[in-house]
Amino acid sequence: MSSQLVIEGLHVEVGGVLVLKGLDLSMRSGEVHVIMGPNGSGKSTLAHALAGRPGYRVVSGTVTLDGVDLLGLTPTERARAGLLLALQQPLEVPGVRPYDLLVAAGADPSGLRERMIDEARRVELAPDVLDRFVNVDLSGGERKRAEMVQVGVLRPRFAVLDEIDSGLDVDALGAVARRLSAAADEWGCGILAITHFRRLLGELVPTRIHVVSDGRVVATGGPELAEVLERDGYEPFRASATEAS
Amino acid sequence: MTTFTDAATSFIALQPDADARTRAWASFEDLGLPTTTDEVWRYAPLSEFVLDRFAPSAPRPARADSAMVEGLAAHAGLVVRVVDGVVASTSAALDGVSVTVEATRRDESLAARYADDAFAQLNAALAPATITVRVARGAHVTRPVVIVHRTDARSSFPRTLVTLEEGADATVVEYYEGGDDALVVPISEYQVGENAVLRLVTYQRLAPSAWHVARSTGVVARDGRLLQAVVGLGGYYDRSRNDAVLEGAGSHNELRTTFLGAGRQVHDFRTHQLHLAPHSSSLLLSKGAVADESRSIYTGLIEIEHGARRTDARQTNHNLLLSPHAHADSVPNLDIRENDVRCAHASSVGPLDELQRWYLESRGVTPADAQRLMIRGFYNEMLVALPAQLAELVERDVTSELESVTAVAS
Repeated sequence: MSSQLVIEGLHVEVGGVLVLKGLDLSMRSGEVHVIMGPNGSGKSTLAHALAGRPGYRVVSGTVTLDGVDLLGLTPTERARAGLLLALQQPLEVPGVRPYDLLVAAGADPSGLRERMIDEARRVELAPDVLDRFVNVDLSGGERKRAEMVQVGVLRPRFAVLDEIDSGLDVDALGAVARRLSAAADEWGCGILAITHFRRLLGELVPTRIHVVSDGRVVATGGPELAEVLERDGYEPFRASATEAS
Repeated sequence: MTTFTDAATSFIALQPDADARTRAWASFEDLGLPTTTDEVWRYAPLSEFVLDRFAPSAPRPARADSAMVEGLAAHAGLVVRVVDGVVASTSAALDGVSVTVEATRRDESLAARYADDAFAQLNAALAPATITVRVARGAHVTRPVVIVHRTDARSSFPRTLVTLEEGADATVVEYYEGGDDALVVPISEYQVGENAVLRLVTYQRLAPSAWHVARSTGVVARDGRLLQAVVGLGGYYDRSRNDAVLEGAGSHNELRTTFLGAGRQVHDFRTHQLHLAPHSSSLLLSKGAVADESRSIYTGLIEIEHGARRTDARQTNHNLLLSPHAHADSVPNLDIRENDVRCAHASSVGPLDELQRWYLESRGVTPADAQRLMIRGFYNEMLVALPAQLAELVERDVTSELESVTAVAS
């Protein structure tokens, strides 16, 4: 079944400051969309607002998943509707084991342990990390990979990955990118990956690239857009944003 | 109706050591029951405390073993069953361990140590016996010695002495249950010999109507280790004071205290780590949660004597508020008379972390399950430190208790 995630005119305020100023983006399941943009452009705000993080206030705009208004749902309901956010800095939850988290999140307990270990191997995460409390005493890279285990086990319809490449070395990034590419094929997972860097794109071929500047998508294109960004940086896009307003 | 004083006086008159007991009773009467104007009793619901309610009455019907006792017994090397402070049975012998009942022994040093403690004086006057567990020099006892204390009467005054001789290594569990509408006043003493290791679990699972006023003191000799966990789930008023005296060089004490409050329960935890010797160390972690209208108090003192050089003492207290009507107080204290030491304390009081909760919810966990997971997690940090044979048993028990509490809280 093909699904569609549609973001229209999204305005989001954080700590009294308007960060997203009318962001539009639309994608279908099985597609890989990459959001790039300079620091402070609103990329992470988009990710957190989609997952309903406390403190991120939607001022106006809509987000629908197959026509269902996501913004009217609680964070739990959004996840159960099929949207999963992998965080840039996954939070420590002392005393809670990944297995128990996944069962509570709705994963089928039968064979779960094996699926977790399999997913860990696919992103080159030592399986014994799965016995530790969620993200406690894990390195930045281990946390990122542990988030991938959750994506692999929970199989969301859309996975949003905030700053997916931070904290990962080139090899680990390759493994994560390959896992995500496979997810798009295996269950038609739609991938919305936020990144600063082009290096992710070697292994994760985007359907579309969106450039975000000052809280809006200012350019959308195919993989060739990454080369333009590589060559010219974000400056030309900032200018076009100013012209448009 | 028999008053408490009448019942106590008749009991004492029949004991072979009536004189010493009469002195303890007199000192109890001199001290009088504490009042909330006394700082260390400030938070106790003493206005509801009526001693005569706890006067010994006709024996109440004894009850069968609870599931928890069966579980503990299944893991035990030796089980001592104590009812109202009297040994009811002792299971088969265990190599290196002797259990004796010292009916007439009266420890004057104990009386002196607790001279200003009215409830300890009550215990000194009224404890039927001192249950003494002795682990022989060099003995390594792998399976736990379990002492089950059940209170069937309106009041009980259990007294326990655990002695590990030099180089001994043992696990001892003191488990308390029963105590409907009863007053339970245990005194326990632990003597950890040179190079000995005592793993100790005190698990209080009394009826919700019980008043529990407990006190323990561990004395640790050179290079000895006292690794102690105290879990308080039951009782209406649960007071647990646990002291350690680090008497020998290189001695070590770990104390983990945990409680869970519900209804109108009060948990009143007090600790005192007294470092007398150089290179001694103590690690104290107190974590508890309060739900409904319950409240908790943690007061801990680390005292380092002059000459206890290179002492390392740490004290951490975290309190979780599960309801807007619950309340927790944390009062850490340091008293240091030596310069060459490392000492640290930290404490916190607050609700569940909002961002952690959101993180779990954003994976699809329901708010109620997220809360359950986080509260269990809060305790898991403590429970993973329990001796391996007991961790699972206690974790299951605490979890089932949490289910009923958090169902109300969420």
